[in-house]
Amino acid sequence: MVDVNKSLSNRVLNTVLGILLALIAVIACFPFVYMMLLSFTNSTSLRFSLSDVVFDFANYKDVFERTNFLIPLKNSIIVSICTCLLNCVLCSMAAYALEKKRFKGSKLVFAIYMATLAVPGQVTMIPIFLMMRDMGLMNSYIALILPACDAFGVFLVKQFMSSVPDELLEAAQIDGAGEVYRFVKIVLPLIMPALVSLTVFTFISAWNNFLWPLVICTDSDMQTLTVALSLLKGKFETNYGLVMAGSALTFIAPFLLYAFLQKQFVEGIALSGVKG
Amino acid sequence: MSKKAKDNLWGWIFVLPSFLTLVVFIVIPIIRSFYYSLTEYSVLSSPKFIGIQNYIAAFQDPFVQASLKNTFIYVLITVPMQTILSMIIAAVIAMKFQNRYGRFVKACMFIPVISSSVLVGTLFTLLFDTDKGIVNSVLAVFGVDAINWLGQSSTALVTVCIAAIWKNVGYFLVIFYAGLMDIPTSYYEAAKVDGAGKIRQFFSITLPCLRPITYLVLTLGIIWSFQAFDMVYAMTQGGPGKSTYTLVYTIYNAAFREYRMGYACAVALILFVFILVVNNVQRLFFGDKED
Repeated sequence: MVDVNKSLSNRVLNTVLGILLALIAVIACFPFVYMMLLSFTNSTSLRFSLSDVVFDFANYKDVFERTNFLIPLKNSIIVSICTCLLNCVLCSMAAYALEKKRFKGSKLVFAIYMATLAVPGQVTMIPIFLMMRDMGLMNSYIALILPACDAFGVFLVKQFMSSVPDELLEAAQIDGAGEVYRFVKIVLPLIMPALVSLTVFTFISAWNNFLWPLVICTDSDMQTLTVALSLLKGKFETNYGLVMAGSALTFIAPFLLYAFLQKQFVEGIALSGVKG
Repeated sequence: MSKKAKDNLWGWIFVLPSFLTLVVFIVIPIIRSFYYSLTEYSVLSSPKFIGIQNYIAAFQDPFVQASLKNTFIYVLITVPMQTILSMIIAAVIAMKFQNRYGRFVKACMFIPVISSSVLVGTLFTLLFDTDKGIVNSVLAVFGVDAINWLGQSSTALVTVCIAAIWKNVGYFLVIFYAGLMDIPTSYYEAAKVDGAGKIRQFFSITLPCLRPITYLVLTLGIIWSFQAFDMVYAMTQGGPGKSTYTLVYTIYNAAFREYRMGYACAVALILFVFILVVNNVQRLFFGDKED
């Protein structure tokens, strides 16, 4: 009798917890559903009935026609992809050197990498801004891309690099393979999983970056999506459908990436926990 | 060339591109930031050395004082809430729903994490709209009068906190969940043999094992709170009054609206010191004895 009671109360508990979790999931997703629905209505009200939802993309057309949203969309894509490529190349090379070549001074170099991890971006932002301005690089892709590289990626790849067997590299060396060949043909394929995680993480932070693009790109031709969205909100305050269409456009890329690379995403972002 | 010399050469060749960007974009800027913080530097004229006057001015600046107060409140609201919520949800999923349903809930909760803070700020501005927002409509059902969430200083900061918690819980959930999966099941089996109930198990096994993770989550939560900017910019622009000013917002204003570069650097370095202090205090209380 006691057992029956226990299993019954257990089942009730499970159901209650299951419903609570569902509620939490709904709260997490609702704003995005709301955003999508609102972007397909032409009402200027936040309270709308489902019958107002028309699938005619009028708001999306409006965003492109009235605000040149294509330009920030293009900029964000260029900046995010270039940042990812650059970060992958620089980080894998540095991680290889630090982990596999115990070169003279590598300890000091590594200590410097370590030390920079704790520094918040706001401290370096102003001097970098002044430097870019003095070099005439404001409103350039270089200014948007280059400062995005930091020590975190090197750590991420370096941890993975230790799993590359030294014997493999030595064997290739004996076979007469050069340094560059060994790096490209042996090391890179083996650290691919780490590079995917790094790419995912870099893409998201580059795509969502706001403060740096806001200050370094004053020209509307060089704005990124996050900056364009913040302006859109000010310019078309009560045209909610339009603002939500713009919001949805900024959301598509990270969402698709997440949908396809869920596992790498969670790993990459969870690993980024080390980054401050 | 000997192998050692070759390794030295190639080591430097491989590390150099990354190391140079690090030096140019982090190491040198830190040094220059420190120098600028001791100068009066509007963008038009060259920096003029004034000693520690920027720091004195910073602590007397009503905006910095408001920022510190707001950050303190922000930390007190967001950090405990997001830590406890994410820990409980992770524990429930790990204990009862290690199945497709649990994975689905986790996936849903991660969506806010990948969206930008500006987007979250934009969405929450609409949700918390006074007249037409969904939140007030729902509250109206329960007989609550419309609240001017973002328009009055008593609730604006809380509203920003709610948005931040909503965005962060999914992230910390993933970290806690990974930590829970690392606890050996044999611990729980042994506890069961000794007759410990579920709740006793949670407090005697789960919580102590999660200590290093909790340390990480708390530290990150506090550091992020100190760096809050995007959402404030998108939701309130620091207002009404100074009620949602944060340190980074003050830095942004000083540097890029008032062009007081030296002063802004000083505030940024104060922010840096706060983050270092938090890190070390946390380590005292939560850190492993080994490190």
